[in-house]
Amino acid sequence: MAIQERTISLLVNNQPGVLSRIAGIFSSRGYNIRSLCVAETTNPEVSRITLTSRAESDFTEKIKKQLEKLVDVISIADFTGAPSVQRELMLISLRLNEENRQEILRAIDVFGCRVVAMSGDSLIMEITANKDKTAAILRYFEPFGVEEMNRTGAIAVFRRQQE
Amino acid sequence: MGTIGADIVLKTLTEEGVEAIFGYPGANTLPLHDRLAEGPIRHYLMRHEQAAAHAADGYARVTGKVGVCLATSGPGATNLVTGIATAYMDSTPLVAITAQVDSDLWGRDAFQETDIIGITMPITKHSFMVRDVTQLASSLRQAFQLASTGRTGPVLVDIPKDILSAPCGDQPKRVPAAPSKRIENPEQLERIAQALNRSERPVIIIGGGVKLGDACERASEFVQKAQIPFVTTMMGIGSVASANGFNLGFIGMHGNELANRTIHQADFILALGTRFTERSTSVIEEFAPLATVAQIDIDPTSIGKNIKVDLAYEGDIQDALTALIPLIAPHAREEWMGRIRAERDLQEAKLKDGGCGQAGNLIRKIQAAMPREAIVIPDVGLNQIWTVRTWQSHSPRSLLTSGGMGTMGFSVPAAIGAKVGAPDREVIVICGDGGFYMNIQELATISAYRLPIKIVVINNGHLGMIRQIQDLFYEARFTESELGDKTDLTAVARGFGVPAERVAVDEDPKEAIARMASAEGPYMIEAMVDQNNYVYPIIPPGCSNMEMICGK
Repeated sequence: MAIQERTISLLVNNQPGVLSRIAGIFSSRGYNIRSLCVAETTNPEVSRITLTSRAESDFTEKIKKQLEKLVDVISIADFTGAPSVQRELMLISLRLNEENRQEILRAIDVFGCRVVAMSGDSLIMEITANKDKTAAILRYFEPFGVEEMNRTGAIAVFRRQQE
Repeated sequence: MGTIGADIVLKTLTEEGVEAIFGYPGANTLPLHDRLAEGPIRHYLMRHEQAAAHAADGYARVTGKVGVCLATSGPGATNLVTGIATAYMDSTPLVAITAQVDSDLWGRDAFQETDIIGITMPITKHSFMVRDVTQLASSLRQAFQLASTGRTGPVLVDIPKDILSAPCGDQPKRVPAAPSKRIENPEQLERIAQALNRSERPVIIIGGGVKLGDACERASEFVQKAQIPFVTTMMGIGSVASANGFNLGFIGMHGNELANRTIHQADFILALGTRFTERSTSVIEEFAPLATVAQIDIDPTSIGKNIKVDLAYEGDIQDALTALIPLIAPHAREEWMGRIRAERDLQEAKLKDGGCGQAGNLIRKIQAAMPREAIVIPDVGLNQIWTVRTWQSHSPRSLLTSGGMGTMGFSVPAAIGAKVGAPDREVIVICGDGGFYMNIQELATISAYRLPIKIVVINNGHLGMIRQIQDLFYEARFTESELGDKTDLTAVARGFGVPAERVAVDEDPKEAIARMASAEGPYMIEAMVDQNNYVYPIIPPGCSNMEMICGK
């Protein structure tokens, strides 16, 4: 069965311990969570967890059933392959010098990134994009010497289909 | 005395129908133990918390009610772990109550503080940390609800001592839950029925879920109506009466050859309340290669977990069978039943003494001396397989065994719970010397409460099943499997206040068994068997259910 990156989103009760129960479902079966994003929803008693994991497709079905059994899990949505908008936020800090300054600023413009802080010899930019694009941008800037990078992991919303 | 958290706990337990709990006090349970004296709930003081969990498990297995155990924080709570895991693997409804250190001490490595919720997360259905005294009743009620519905199992409720002793008002009463039984997908059952009606060589697999779902009578009805042979898993033994001719025995590693061979030839399997563990299927790719598999289970994660399923129905097994019975068109499968009859004759001629040697004869003699409705509790290892192969179970909930977890030391404490749950039935433990050592301290509990439990320790001086595996698959190198013969277990039992005698199995143990059977209180027989008294057939590791071997 094909190994695939899966994006799953869960609505859960905003309770202590919920995250460890969910993580336990993955870890006890030897699967790794690649990214994880947790935040309150419009209802403060409910949180949304968006996570990605690489797994066989039938495995995701089994994981979903296991997650559904958790008392604190309210609902599960699988974004893998579904029409949706997925985004992650990435911050990259770069060191600038005379040779690369112009090229970096031009690339930031081309990629549609945004400079959020800049001093004489360094710069911090932010990128909001889907995972493929953030990965491509990171690859581009790596040769310039990335001082620090941090990313949120994906969040997603279903795209409403025209009825 | 004003109402405190502990009173709410006891009141809620009473409302949930709890009559007996099994526990052990500690500094942090004291507010609760202190109030127990006034209430209608009987508390059985065990000699180890692990035994408290097994006793609650045994109680639940016999009565079908939720078993309750109680332990203090720290070591008390961690001692429950093996018992909780045992209940989890066999889906026993259990509520484990642990006391926790005062809430202002959390996270400070206080005396006897441990994160028992974290420790037990993978072996509980759910757990509650009660953070506010006003949540006590609702947390406990939810715990009982969760433990006893769906695929039943253990739930842990951790209560800090300050919450147990907090003054509080009355809490809302239990609202009876509306019965939610209904058939959600009748067309799936119709498809299963059609496939079954078309099949030429069908077999039913009865798993532990049939008894857990109170569907034994329905399953018997189903077998009779459909005229289809059935096999069981080890956990399903006794769920459908043995004596109706359709029972082919149990499948798996130490199962009946007839059951394993029949499954292999089947063209249709209806699996009821079983998850197809590797102990029952062996190499999964070679299990039932010709069969269309239909699975009925209340637990969605058990469907298709271990085997590819062609037709599935997720839901209550009793409801499913009730809906299925009228859809079955009985048809005589002469050829199939003839093949099974011939195979049965062949197997019976092949296997002397049912494959259990003198130990099997001993167990037959014990059963003959016991009332028909006796409850038998084997431990784990050779004694377990000898018992499940030999004992004729006439009703569900009369053979209790640690199947999934295979917990040595289960039998003696589980027998305490069984006897408390069914005081009018004889309870007999059939144990090995290894497992007997593991909860030997519970003889003190049996003795203190004068529980008339009968114990047979089949002593071969070894971890017999380990020895057999070493003999067969490790070139007879018996490393660390000999327990020796330096202990006089009868003297130990007598020291605990339990009358005991020793017999050799190759001499006739009939009289000793008669003395045990007629004893008013507890009684122990230490039955000495040869270390080479193994169990056959056995499936070697990595082999299929068709590759059973019957000797070295």
